[in-house]
Amino acid sequence: MNSARTGLLLIAPLAIVLVGAFLVSVLLLAPTSFREYLPGTGIVPDSWTLENYLRIATDDFYREVVWRTLALGLGVTAACLMLGYPVAYLIVRGDPRWRLPLTLLVIFPLMLNLVVRSFGWIALLTNRGLVNNLLMSLGIIDEPLKLMFNLTGVMIGMVHIYLPFMVLMLVAALQNVPRDVEAAAATLGSGRMHVFTAVTLPLTAPGIIAGSILVFVLSISALVTPRMLGGPTYQVMATLIYDEYMQLLDWSSGSALSFTLVAIAVAIIWLSNRAAKRWAGLA
Amino acid sequence: MNEQKPGFAVSSFALLVIAFLQVPVIVVVLAGFSETSYLTIPPQGLTLRWFGEVLTDPTYLSAIRISLILAVSATLASMVLGVAAAYAIHKKMLPGSDAITSFLMAPLVVPSVVVGVALLQYFTLIGWRGSFLALILAHTIITVPYIVRSVLASLSGIDPSLEEAARVLGANGPSAFRLVTLPLIKPGLVAGALFAFVTSMENVPVTIFLASARQTTLPILIFSSVEMGVDPSVAAVSTLLIVATAVVLLLAERWAGFHKFV
Repeated sequence: MNSARTGLLLIAPLAIVLVGAFLVSVLLLAPTSFREYLPGTGIVPDSWTLENYLRIATDDFYREVVWRTLALGLGVTAACLMLGYPVAYLIVRGDPRWRLPLTLLVIFPLMLNLVVRSFGWIALLTNRGLVNNLLMSLGIIDEPLKLMFNLTGVMIGMVHIYLPFMVLMLVAALQNVPRDVEAAAATLGSGRMHVFTAVTLPLTAPGIIAGSILVFVLSISALVTPRMLGGPTYQVMATLIYDEYMQLLDWSSGSALSFTLVAIAVAIIWLSNRAAKRWAGLA
Repeated sequence: MNEQKPGFAVSSFALLVIAFLQVPVIVVVLAGFSETSYLTIPPQGLTLRWFGEVLTDPTYLSAIRISLILAVSATLASMVLGVAAAYAIHKKMLPGSDAITSFLMAPLVVPSVVVGVALLQYFTLIGWRGSFLALILAHTIITVPYIVRSVLASLSGIDPSLEEAARVLGANGPSAFRLVTLPLIKPGLVAGALFAFVTSMENVPVTIFLASARQTTLPILIFSSVEMGVDPSVAAVSTLLIVATAVVLLLAERWAGFHKFV
């Protein structure tokens, strides 16, 4: 039997779907992003302009949204790493009987509907939400704290949403650390903290990098949580793309912003893969 | 023996973080049973009223039905397309398996909101906007990478001599696959299908650009009703989703050892 022909037959249906719908549709955004848009009239056919991209690079509003998106991505990634590492460590190195229940408690929020999780944070963080009610009834504050429609709310929600991804990546990395190496370092007189910083941490670096890329790329692309917890005014790139398409109907500017977002995501993945390979080559 | 174990401080911190992960879940469930028509926590009085309201409200029922039909169709389509492609890649039937795999994973790299606007423009151009089949196609695109990934992982753990043995004993290609390989990759397939189903069930960034008013899914309904203000019936329908998720996760864990595939 001709295996290449069988292979082609097996792959073709999926390839046709992905090329015909996914690839073509994304590529068709490119011409739109170079078209001129006139408010009230719409996209000017056969026009050609770099205006939509120049605006992202020069306009203060767009620049602020891009920087905010990247800063938020970095903040969420750093927070997930710091909160996630101890959790992964407890799961891998703690009592084996607790391993499965703790893992399931990490997976459960991950499997839970994103909209539901964000809704839960709204119930907690609004002016009359649980956190403010609690603090006010304890007399710690007199006026409700502003926990939503700003950086605080979006950060809390996004850290909660992407933390499980980080934990699972770190669990996988920690499982691959041979215990003999740690034991050897300890036998040779290293303290617990030193064993951790000199042996465990460097050996889990690939997992830290992989988890950080994943969380960063996911958080700069997030639409639901920033919109639900940030409201219509606290914009990030994804929510701005949504508004340009659905409210302003400025598809030209929206597709230029879409390409910028894809370019950032792809660049980050490519650069960190290169960095990871170089690191692995040195080690 | 001096073993590296998490100390008391690390363990307590980690348990606090795991508790933090459950907080919004607990809050939503409590809010769903609240007696007041505005959302309060702790709930003032217990009632099942909001659950009754959700389960008799045609808007919610229609959204739940559409979400389920969409998720089941997209998952089934992804399973058929994904298993076939993953098998061909695993057997290296075509040159350039790595490049093909990267391409099949591409929908995960492109931000969902971009997939959403790209498909909106494309379906508008070719006149498919508002078609339910187009919506199923869109969900298939975003769910298929999960199937390909978990099936590839399962296939790589199978001893190739098992399928060869079946062939030697007279089974042809398709029946060797059906009788030997398919049962062996079943846990990975179940896990991948569950991921695909959940991804479709919770998707907003693609659906919101493509679904017509009559095709409103449950997450879109919750997403847009929150903009109008918080209402306990949202908490009630969310509680139903939480319970369904927990049950499915526990079943998947029993059947397939789900946590190994995440």
